[in-house]
Amino acid sequence: METKPVIAGLFADTPQGPRLLGSRCASCAAPYFPKSAVCHNPKCGESKIQDAAFGPRGRLWSLAIQSYAPPPPVKFDEPFKPYAMGVVDLDDGLRVLGRISTDDLRSLRPDMPVELVLEPLYHEADGTEVITWKFRPV
Amino acid sequence: MRDVAVIGLGMHPWGKFADKSVNDLCRVAVEAALKDAGVSWREIEAVSAASSRFSGGKGWGLNGNDVVEEMGSTGIPVYNLSAGCAAGGNAFNIGYTLVASGLYDLVLVVGGEKMPKGFIQTSGLEETTDPEFLRQRCVGMPGPAFWASLCWRRMKDYGTTEEQLAKVAVKAHQVGKHNENARFRQEFTLEQVLKSNVVSYPLRLYEICPVSDGAAAVILCSAEQAKKRTSKPVWVAASAVATASFDDGITRGLGGLGPSGPTLHSEAKLAVEKALKGAGVGQKDVDLVELQDNTVYYELAFPEEWGFCKPGEAEHLMETGETMPTGKLPINPSGGFLCFGEATTAQGLFQVCEMGWQLRGEAGARQVPNARVGLAQTLGLGGNATAVVLKR
Repeated sequence: METKPVIAGLFADTPQGPRLLGSRCASCAAPYFPKSAVCHNPKCGESKIQDAAFGPRGRLWSLAIQSYAPPPPVKFDEPFKPYAMGVVDLDDGLRVLGRISTDDLRSLRPDMPVELVLEPLYHEADGTEVITWKFRPV
Repeated sequence: MRDVAVIGLGMHPWGKFADKSVNDLCRVAVEAALKDAGVSWREIEAVSAASSRFSGGKGWGLNGNDVVEEMGSTGIPVYNLSAGCAAGGNAFNIGYTLVASGLYDLVLVVGGEKMPKGFIQTSGLEETTDPEFLRQRCVGMPGPAFWASLCWRRMKDYGTTEEQLAKVAVKAHQVGKHNENARFRQEFTLEQVLKSNVVSYPLRLYEICPVSDGAAAVILCSAEQAKKRTSKPVWVAASAVATASFDDGITRGLGGLGPSGPTLHSEAKLAVEKALKGAGVGQKDVDLVELQDNTVYYELAFPEEWGFCKPGEAEHLMETGETMPTGKLPINPSGGFLCFGEATTAQGLFQVCEMGWQLRGEAGARQVPNARVGLAQTLGLGGNATAVVLKR
């Protein structure tokens, strides 16, 4: 089956496992995802942006369950099934949004430990599987 | 800077008006404000208009120019202000500045809009530099889910229950039913709110404001003009605008700084703090608050973030009736966005109109007894916020 990323350049399956691809300021340590060309921290002495990979472990800060079929530009496979998404605080200091990978929506709680995974988000008409990053409770 | 008075208040009721243009809505609001002020259109020296991407403005956000053409092309300067859902508050700030600076004596501030159907959406372009597009395509998180995630965290931190969330909506409609300009004027029982469709758990349909059509206008003037024209001026004690700070805890795009403190919606907090300081009043001096309740969450979270009550105390104040017009911290005596719905450019000005009527003692069944000082706040896409303090 053909697969492709939902948006190119946001994540990669590295030898160490899945990672989000962003950047970090070497001067003030501020994390950016997606990548930023410059540091936006007004207290930063000097903008020194370097590529950075984020993940895989973190904690769910909060979550929400999408209970109705959302309008475009959200895409999903028919028939619509409610799904969870959340705000995750990664151990390396990035606060990031992501789908939660679970079949048991009722089991989800804020502060749960989670890990980064790369999984299908939806399928295109020709069957191509579109991949995004998600967080799986551990 | 000179003292600035609000002498004219006008509104077109909120609702859905398929057979009216945005110009029709604005004309009703502007004519009402002019009449209330006893000012003729030809006397208006400048217009500060909230600019919309949804309707009017010749497709370019030139909403103020549409209003001037509609009312009569007198050649006056027009300022079109864009700040997402904070645009009305932003236009008020510029209108205030134009009078306070001494540049003009009589200024019209106006916002009017017809909103597209459904919850507010992205631009429609598949633009990968747009954080809103990325959030929706990669994560599947529309606006209500974003609010729901904040709400769920509040439930974790303070034990807020689904019933308490629903009670905020019940309270909004108990007040809003008295407002002839509100779109939804029926009361809801707790059961009705809890039985309304779950949009994004834990938030239900009646706990989220819909989009509406509406318009509001105010006339601002110098103290000298106010003396001539009215016996009951309402004064602008402060008008403030702010944007989000770098250490804000909310993820506005896909990712950002980890938690560096409890600061959420720093733009709103900064604008409110600036306005209170500018007005020289403390939270205890404020008799009513009109805040942007896109969802019930904000009516609980904002008063705490702004120091009006202790963290986790908002539910208790709401449940004991203290946030009703007759309580010690009246919040949204207008009925708020839950009863009006969002007409993004007009809402900062409906808040000013409501405060004006409250401070003049003209708010009827939703009147806050002996209201002397009011605070209103808006919040818009892009990290925009405004706050205004009016006093009698």
